[in-house]
Amino acid sequence: MSGFDQLLGGFSVALSWKGLTYCFLGCLWGTVVGVLPGLGPLAGMTLLFPLTFGLDPAIGIIMLTGIFYGAMYGGSTTSILVRIPGEAASVVTCIDGYEMARKGRAGPALMIAALGSFVGGTVSILGLMFITPPLAKVMIAIGPSVQVVLILLALAVITAVSGGSRAKTAAMIALGLALATVGLDRLTGVPRFTFGSAELTAGLSFTALAIGLFGISEILINLENVAAVKAIRPKFKELIPRWADLRESAPAVGRASVIGFVFGIIPGVSHVVSTFVSYAVEKRLSKHPEQFGKGAIAGVAGPETANNAVTGTAMIPLLALGIPSIPATALLISALTIHGVQPGPLLLTDHPEVFWALVASMYVGNVILLILNLPLVGIFVNLLRIPYSWLVPIILIISVIGVYSVNFSTSDIWIMVISGVIGYVLRKFGYEMAPLLLALVLGERLEENFRLALTMSGGSYGTFVDYASIYVVTCVVGLLLLTWAVARSFGYRKSFADQAEQA
Amino acid sequence: MLLDIGDAGLPGPGFFPLLLAAGLLGIALLLAIDCWRSSASEAVEIGHRDVLISIAALLSVPVLFEPAGAPITLGLFGMASLVLIGRVSPLLAIAASGLGMTACWYFFAVLLGVQLPIGPL
Repeated sequence: MSGFDQLLGGFSVALSWKGLTYCFLGCLWGTVVGVLPGLGPLAGMTLLFPLTFGLDPAIGIIMLTGIFYGAMYGGSTTSILVRIPGEAASVVTCIDGYEMARKGRAGPALMIAALGSFVGGTVSILGLMFITPPLAKVMIAIGPSVQVVLILLALAVITAVSGGSRAKTAAMIALGLALATVGLDRLTGVPRFTFGSAELTAGLSFTALAIGLFGISEILINLENVAAVKAIRPKFKELIPRWADLRESAPAVGRASVIGFVFGIIPGVSHVVSTFVSYAVEKRLSKHPEQFGKGAIAGVAGPETANNAVTGTAMIPLLALGIPSIPATALLISALTIHGVQPGPLLLTDHPEVFWALVASMYVGNVILLILNLPLVGIFVNLLRIPYSWLVPIILIISVIGVYSVNFSTSDIWIMVISGVIGYVLRKFGYEMAPLLLALVLGERLEENFRLALTMSGGSYGTFVDYASIYVVTCVVGLLLLTWAVARSFGYRKSFADQAEQA
Repeated sequence: MLLDIGDAGLPGPGFFPLLLAAGLLGIALLLAIDCWRSSASEAVEIGHRDVLISIAALLSVPVLFEPAGAPITLGLFGMASLVLIGRVSPLLAIAASGLGMTACWYFFAVLLGVQLPIGPL
């Protein structure tokens, strides 16, 4: 079957009533969590994660992915209307978006952000569609030693580029890998660190840990800073941009689509880096750089397009290599695994329907978000009027029911609550949860391949520095260094990621 | 029970955890040096009133969840949170949590078929 036929098959799933319903629900919830300050895409995904267990794998992934890119869309609304970034990737949009809103031009800013997001998202899906299948074919041939090298490389890059202290990030990675060792050892069947508990033999519940570490800790941190929000409210008729706005934004959208797509390969903070670089590029290329910071529409169009163009690229390592580059895709790995679908190079041969349904749903989701975000912007803004302390019990009750519904076990609720409290304390001390989650997802595979590679080589550590490993490392590091050098040449510094993460 | 470490030719179930423990120890040393070098570190405030109430309320959920059932436990949790954190009047909180739990029950237990503990109800 050709790729085109498979894509058509994917559209038949994405456009089925079930596909459309769950894609819509995902996009809607994604927009809501994107709009609400403090609830990012990951918290949004973890909270609805358990709802996908009863669904077909393709439909479940469609819904979760919808939340992911829906949050990217929604994040721009609060940035523009309230000057509060809905999530880290929307920090840059605050600068010119809010200035436009203050000058009575919130409508065009929102419209251009939505259109740019749509274009960026669509471009990245095209890339995902064309790059993933050939890359997966290459990756099928690699052995366990190269897999170990790739996973270690991904973790090393996350440590190097993530916001905050590198030692703290490394500690979180080591902790994530350690937590992944709890449960039955897959190679020998020996229970490890279960302390005699039968419930721990299957390992620590990923859902409970993810919701606790991200969802609960996020809520607890936000409770400390509950402030009344004053939003600028645009009218529907004010949404239509002027011809000059479109003319000014079009080149920015085009450039940012490419920037977002290319920068999506950087694990950890790709969405943040791409927005900063896009803003810097637009400022440098603009005929009126002095307008940046005072309401330049290109300063909204570029970053918003870039952060949505990242979503497709972020899926490439997940679907072709089975390696998540950002926490949101780590959650998708877990969702696929729970449904019996192994992400990685074999996904396209064993479960092509899941891959193509996902690709098709991303096209559909982008259209849904465009329709959803523009006419309903007033309703989303009204969400900001609900006191955060009223939302807290609702979110927590959904979390408890969701976690319980995975294994029908109270132990999972304990794990969620305890990890939530630990996550809150760790975050207060500047430890990020994203590296922990990525390591937790990759831990089992890293250990399994590490031990297999050593056994196959008769105990020689030289197996990790063979020709194939060196070739892969050189290619990946070269590509990353090139991307990083471009980012730095446009003025991007690691401190920007730190500031964005704190926002 | 002690885990078998094995050797490099045939690593046992304790091999990787041992490597991780060594790694964690190294990182802990790095962090300790980092703390020792930094002169005046900022004080981190933990213990905001609303956070402490939420943690206490959350900790009571797994204790009550199976004996009291999901509707009562989560209803009480919602009510307590609304009164103590949301500063909502108790009557309004009772009404809101009652309605909310009915909606939750209908959505999760009836529509999605999630088998939640019902308790004495």
